Amino acid sequence: MAPPTPEWVKQLTPSGPQGHELLAAERASSDIPVDQLSTLLHTKEVLDRKQQILTILKSEPVFDKTQNYFAGRTERFETALARAKKLANLKVKHNWNLDEYRTAHDLISEPGPYGLHDSMFVITLGEQGTPEQQERFLTKAQKYEIIGCYAQTELGHGSNVRGLETTATWSPEDKTFIIHSPHLTASKWWIGSLGRTANHAVVMAQLIINGKSFGPHPFVVQIRDLKTHEPLENVHVGDIGPKFGYNTMDNGFLLFNKVKIPHVNMLARFSRVDPETNKFVRQGSPSLIYGTLTWVRSTIVMQAGSVLARGVTIATRYCAVRRQFQDRDAPASEKSENPVLNYTMVQIRLLPLLAATFALHFTGKAMMELYQENQKRMNAGNGNRDSSKRGAGPEETQSGSDILADLHASSCGLKALSSTIAAEGLEVCRRACGGHGYSSFSGIGPWYSDYLPTTTWEGDNYMLTQQVARYLLKSARSVINKEPPTNDTTTILTEFLSRSEVGCAFDIIGSDADLVSAFAWRTSFLTFEALKHRDQNKKPWNDLLVDFYRLSKAHSQYTVVKNFYNALQSPAVTSQIPASTLDVLRKLFRLFALNTLEQEGSEFYASGACSKHQISLARTNTVMKLLKEIRPHALRLVDSWAFDDWVLDSSLGRYDGKVYEDLFYRASVTNPLNGITVDPYPSSDVLFKKVEGIAARSKL
Amino acid sequence: MPDFTDHLKPRYDGTATLQAERDASTINVRDLANHLLSRDGFLQAQDRVLKVLSNEKLFKKDQQLNLSRPERYHLGLARAKAIRRIGRTQGWGDKEYAMAEYLNDEMSPYFLHMSMFVTTVREQGSEEQQAYWMPQILNYDIIGCYAQTELGHGSNVRGLETTAKWDPVKKEFEIHSPYLTASKWWNGSMGRTATHAIVVAQLLLPKKGSKTDDDEYQSHGPQPFIVQIRDTKTHQPLDGIVVGDIGPKYGYASMDNGYMLFDHHRVAKSAMLSRYAEVSDETGALNRRGHPAVVYGSLTFVRGQIIMHARLILARAVTIAVRYCSIRRQFKDRDSTSPADEELKVLDYPTVQIRILPLLATTFALHYTGEMMYNLYHKTRQTIEKGDFGMLAELHSASSGLKSLCTMLAADGIETCRRAMGGHGFGGGSGLVGTNADYLSKPTVEGDNWMITQQVASYLIKKMTHAVANLDAPPKDPTDELFQFYLKNRAHRIPQTVAHDGEYDDQAIVDVFQWRAADLSYRAYHARVVEKKPWTKLMIQLHNLSRAYSEQILVTTFFNSFHETATSLSGPTPGVLKTCFRLYALFTLDAFASSFTLTNAVAPDSIYSLSDAILDLMTELRPHAVKLVDAWSIPDWLLDSALGRSDGKVYEELYDMAHRRNPLNRVTFNPDWRSDEIVLGSGDGGRHILAKL
Repeated sequence: MAPPTPEWVKQLTPSGPQGHELLAAERASSDIPVDQLSTLLHTKEVLDRKQQILTILKSEPVFDKTQNYFAGRTERFETALARAKKLANLKVKHNWNLDEYRTAHDLISEPGPYGLHDSMFVITLGEQGTPEQQERFLTKAQKYEIIGCYAQTELGHGSNVRGLETTATWSPEDKTFIIHSPHLTASKWWIGSLGRTANHAVVMAQLIINGKSFGPHPFVVQIRDLKTHEPLENVHVGDIGPKFGYNTMDNGFLLFNKVKIPHVNMLARFSRVDPETNKFVRQGSPSLIYGTLTWVRSTIVMQAGSVLARGVTIATRYCAVRRQFQDRDAPASEKSENPVLNYTMVQIRLLPLLAATFALHFTGKAMMELYQENQKRMNAGNGNRDSSKRGAGPEETQSGSDILADLHASSCGLKALSSTIAAEGLEVCRRACGGHGYSSFSGIGPWYSDYLPTTTWEGDNYMLTQQVARYLLKSARSVINKEPPTNDTTTILTEFLSRSEVGCAFDIIGSDADLVSAFAWRTSFLTFEALKHRDQNKKPWNDLLVDFYRLSKAHSQYTVVKNFYNALQSPAVTSQIPASTLDVLRKLFRLFALNTLEQEGSEFYASGACSKHQISLARTNTVMKLLKEIRPHALRLVDSWAFDDWVLDSSLGRYDGKVYEDLFYRASVTNPLNGITVDPYPSSDVLFKKVEGIAARSKL
Repeated sequence: MPDFTDHLKPRYDGTATLQAERDASTINVRDLANHLLSRDGFLQAQDRVLKVLSNEKLFKKDQQLNLSRPERYHLGLARAKAIRRIGRTQGWGDKEYAMAEYLNDEMSPYFLHMSMFVTTVREQGSEEQQAYWMPQILNYDIIGCYAQTELGHGSNVRGLETTAKWDPVKKEFEIHSPYLTASKWWNGSMGRTATHAIVVAQLLLPKKGSKTDDDEYQSHGPQPFIVQIRDTKTHQPLDGIVVGDIGPKYGYASMDNGYMLFDHHRVAKSAMLSRYAEVSDETGALNRRGHPAVVYGSLTFVRGQIIMHARLILARAVTIAVRYCSIRRQFKDRDSTSPADEELKVLDYPTVQIRILPLLATTFALHYTGEMMYNLYHKTRQTIEKGDFGMLAELHSASSGLKSLCTMLAADGIETCRRAMGGHGFGGGSGLVGTNADYLSKPTVEGDNWMITQQVASYLIKKMTHAVANLDAPPKDPTDELFQFYLKNRAHRIPQTVAHDGEYDDQAIVDVFQWRAADLSYRAYHARVVEKKPWTKLMIQLHNLSRAYSEQILVTTFFNSFHETATSLSGPTPGVLKTCFRLYALFTLDAFASSFTLTNAVAPDSIYSLSDAILDLMTELRPHAVKLVDAWSIPDWLLDSALGRSDGKVYEELYDMAHRRNPLNRVTFNPDWRSDEIVLGSGDGGRHILAKL
């Protein structure tokens, strides 16, 4: 800890108007009822739950965040493990359900060493295990008597499960599987919770019977001794080392040297090896698994809104407090500098992102509702049609008539778009904070680095877009074959085809509905263009990937714009907030849509969805006007996302605007480096003359 | 410890793969490397210094990412000292020291001593002050830093709150921090290392004819003072000064960026650097000599260096991405029919190419502009020393706009490369974790990128106003020439087509970039000067103008290099560089298509064919990618990347780092949540952790 602060320093205050006064003035300039809007976004139940759990967490010393930004890798992991254990204890003590447990994780906001046990390990045992296997493994996992992880990706292979190298060879003599890693690149890699924590893993391996491969399947394998926690014989496992972020998680590697596991350890709900005949037997449809993936991706979309909202909250509050340069046109007598949030240059970066938080939130919500509705329908028996003829992927199904397929394709594209918007948006927020954004105390940098892997996991964002394109091409073919439209995608494609001779005339500036139609038009145009390249010009698939990427992006942007628009029309939303607030939300809708349209201007123009003049007008007039109209409400809009200061852990984003006091406090009081006095001269090899406080207790 | 994994090999041989890539192109790497990097004997110095540093254990980069913030500073200081000691025994000059910093690749706690501190004393100290300070500085008897920015104020020096009040009786200055926001903040080398600082403070002098009453003072703007801040023996702060490190950052872990406050701290009159301004003992008035704008001179120099650095940083990221993506395989071709086909190298995917190859082209675009800037800086410096400040506006304007664009291209480029590598890009083995974090400060330090672009815009508006009024005056520089051409032709402009059916018109490419910059300048001039629109309303438009103007410089300068490359390079190299030029230009044109069409620079119908042209250019460039990055000659030791190794042993290295060099694997943990114990067998019940929080 640093030396004591002298009295004359304690007396100092920031110059000019104080942060809390500035934020109070900001809040007074808008009439948005923050509590009502918060409730609309989160529901009262969720807000109350957060508050209760937050009180519990703040009272436990192990969750204290003060030293998070200073610690090294090993310390960060140790602390994270201590926190994960405490959380599991609290779960029992307070009898938390799954939602409450997850809320606690969200509030702590760091990946924990039990993360993959709690999610993929338990989910996979539940979904892919037979009742007998669930009894054997799942029950113990739920009680944490065994701790697991999910080992799919390998050193040489990411998203493509068909390329996995780890093998599981059936041995008919003793009815066992032999798990083996034939190459170095077969090493499991990146597996969360595997490095130091787990003693079991669900291992995805190529099943081999009698020399023939039957594709990848899941096997439960014990990897460490339950007492000593040392790796079992012929299992080689460890942590893969430091990363860009996620350093509280022990992502691991894993290699097998012909390890035998019993027959019962192959998860056999959908396929199994008959121990009598040694034959491979497929039973039931694994398409349900794609349902889970769709669900996971929908949550990523909704989460992206809130992930981004954290950055936008911090940047907006700080930019309302931070003042810089006089306005060039201000009279010379006026001394004070302008809050940077008054600069259009800052507004054009932050306000469209603020709009995006709401756009993503409503889109994610709509998708999850659609998913649940569809699950209900499938459970009612309508979903089983032709399931025996289905291939593995839902894009292989008859696309024109299946909501799940539409949802799956949308979820792939939206996952890619929304996580890219959120990740890039966070970096924009960080840079909008100027120099102080680079300090860890901004709270944005560390948050960004932990979020980044989302852009590559659950399907790399670029790779995923192929699935969307494939689905859109199929849909377009069915429309050309005059099949009647059965979902939104085929509806807009049919509409486009029927009007493509006549063209369109959308009033993108005057009508919100027309604005949505312009997005639909551009997507349809690009779909039929891509179809022409593929089916008529016979271009190779590989050459079309960039086109497909653009197509997928267009379709996802359309989906977001449409869902945002629909949400603001639905009574569920309009009945909960006053008309003036609804009006602000509609402005956010227009800002998001027009700003996107302007950035993708050449595609809109090329498709004929709007004219060059309209784009130019949107850019120079409408968007600028919207920025001005939304500006006074910015603070209350971010307030409605309801992030507690403890969660943000940011000097710049404090609710009370005490930005400079907090930056100074953290630097001068909590910073262990200031307990060290150095010898600065190169002529001496003494480094530290004196070490005091926290720094003395660490291993230096 | 030997185990069964020692004999495992990757499924595909990375070394053979890279060799095949190199065999497929006939570019002469050595010639191209000399062409790019021979200025001031760069390549020779790199070899020499690399040999020394890579043999010292202290400079091993293995464990850096595992260390905590205080440990990183510890290491940073140890290395900074060692470099100085090695340099003395080896007889290094400035060139070798700079190379050692580049190869060591972390912010040295001496960095500000060597850069802003020494530069400011040299440029702004009187001859007497230089004679007194320079020997101590060069001998490292004192260690300095540069304290300008404050907690509440970044780029705007006029808004600084720290004051230096002249006491006419004692002939001293009193340095004071009246508010918390007056605290110096972010100043490198100041937190724990420096003994002295250049403090930029508002000079307060008594109003003419008044006595010394407090409210009778008048500010004369920011001035630099050289101030001792720590005791030279105990290294404790002097009385009346509070100084410390500001804590962890996104990157720059080895650097002690600091804060500092003064409580009526008194310094002698000689503390004010007085080459350009001095307080008179008799009258208490400020005597200025020379041009006050020169205060911005050293800032301009730092920007120039940042641009030169940007190309090497981007080249490093691209090197890693190109090599790894030529080795990494994923999915078979969808159109593939034979089961014997192998998975494709990801660099053969257009979706990967479109992210990496335009950046490869960008490294060369930055190079030629960096060279041009370097020459311009030296030319201008000479004229300043002769007392002529005429070119400062041009230089300041060009340097700020280009700094903004180049650092953004590099910072975003690093991140794009990192993501293009999929999951492993996120790992410590990518070599881009530290680079990314350290480099990301560049878009905001030394003038926020969005803020400083205003300087370019206001300069261009002034130029355009002048051109409109003096249409036929002889042009003083290329900008005048361009604006006059634009004004004479704008009434009958025919939008251009730059690429058609595999044919490219390079001259037209240059023309459309210049036309767009001129047209945006004209629009800005019209909005501001003719329509008198408020400045803040125009900021976005002005920012776009700055970008367009800088892109025009990159494209024009790249184009102008053809003549030299055609004569000095042989084989396919000049042609490949031309392909890079086209790819950079068309990729940029496509990304900002609406800006080019709205300004009538290009024909709207020609936009749609750009994506095919870009695909073709990438196909042309693809076989040369590995050799082009080889030419940037980034040593493996500096790359510090498993993915980017020049020998292609990607997977062997990733595994070795994880398995054999990872300290976390030396600890066995207790994962059972019922037990408070964290390290298995330690029995400490978690107390160890709590003590650290």
